Amino acid sequence: MPADRGGLADPDAIETLFARGVTDGLPVVPPTRERVRRAIEATGRDGSELIALVPPNYGRATVEKIAINAVMAGCRAAYLPAVVAAVAAVCDDAFDLHGVSATTNAPAPLLVLNGPVRGALDVNCGAGVFGPGWRANATIGRAVRLVCVNVGGAVPGVVSMSTLAHPGRYTYCIGEHEEASPWDSLAVEHGFAPGRSTVAALAADAPLGVYDHASRTAPDLLATIAASLAVIVNHKMTHWGDTLLVLSPEHAATIAGDGWGKPEIRRFLHERLQRPVRELVPGRDGGEGLPEHVLRKFADPGRDATPIPKFRAPEHLKIVVAGGRAGRFSAIVPGWSFAHGSSLVFRAIDAP
Amino acid sequence: MSDYLDPTDSVAVPRTTARRAASLEGKVVTLLDISKAKGDHLLDRLEELLRERAGVRAIVRKRKPTFARPAPEPLRQEILASTDVVVEALAD
Repeated sequence: MPADRGGLADPDAIETLFARGVTDGLPVVPPTRERVRRAIEATGRDGSELIALVPPNYGRATVEKIAINAVMAGCRAAYLPAVVAAVAAVCDDAFDLHGVSATTNAPAPLLVLNGPVRGALDVNCGAGVFGPGWRANATIGRAVRLVCVNVGGAVPGVVSMSTLAHPGRYTYCIGEHEEASPWDSLAVEHGFAPGRSTVAALAADAPLGVYDHASRTAPDLLATIAASLAVIVNHKMTHWGDTLLVLSPEHAATIAGDGWGKPEIRRFLHERLQRPVRELVPGRDGGEGLPEHVLRKFADPGRDATPIPKFRAPEHLKIVVAGGRAGRFSAIVPGWSFAHGSSLVFRAIDAP
Repeated sequence: MSDYLDPTDSVAVPRTTARRAASLEGKVVTLLDISKAKGDHLLDRLEELLRERAGVRAIVRKRKPTFARPAPEPLRQEILASTDVVVEALAD
């Protein structure tokens, strides 16, 4: 059979690929030579160019291997530059994909797209931003997952030992709703020019919704959000790292209406998210608490009032505006960000 | 099957496990703490038992900076060069 018949020559193309163990449990688009050729061409690169070694097996993510997985995920060829950038981002040492893919925790790479690429590829930034219905969001995130498994070896239950995982391991990709934001975008805050297209990758748990319909001032609304942030990971976790706060346009407008910017939000939340040592002693209100090496620094931890921060620094609270223009809902996306662990990583998306 | 291109890295080097020591008699054993809470408790007890029962030549204690990442290359090389057997402890 000729290779370029779109897999239609094989009556059981989908079953053939399931049998090879290269899917995520959903049917994949058969990676025919012609589809993959078009995908490689859209990158403007040579198929043999090495983009990254993918932990934990350190398989070679060449442009061709990324293209094959992107075709299987259902990507249009035009998405390829974004997928290539996203693969490079998650394979950056700062992302710690080895840990992300192997841990018993549940992180999945959340991709956040900024800049003109959102319009060019029809990336959803608005209503239902974390949900289904947009091909770009659905398939760019899925392509990265397939690369992690097929090139990186992160086979669930074999190498990838997450106890629970979460649905974001199928796909996890949003655009920032820059047009509805009163502030600089996530990418601009991190030093990219406003006209630059970028992808940011965060090793992330599932989004946790925060409903607040009543607050009409920045301090009131952020008090609600702080109380929800206080319990992420567990209510006594401290010194946490990069975590994403996704503010809906209505919530962002309420905060900006008081003249607050992202630095003021971060400062408010960081100051509010501190608890005295005495409330963080293991065995008081749950067995979790400060680790032994921290407790040793205090003569009488059970009575000590020294404040311990939930986050290591205000800068670890990353903020984007996303979602529909109607609705007073925001979301917290906890990072998997132990000290010396994974951090938010950016890559510019190079158009061919 | 050959109609479809291979999404995996077929040239990835296959990993094999090292040959296991038949006995611990006269061996240098490294106990590697991965920095998980209470990993040291487990390794302390293991060290006691090894000294008591296994006739090891020496026990070396090492620690990874964080459980969230692989051991740094210099630490891996150091263990490889100076030890016969390594026990890596996962706790919590």
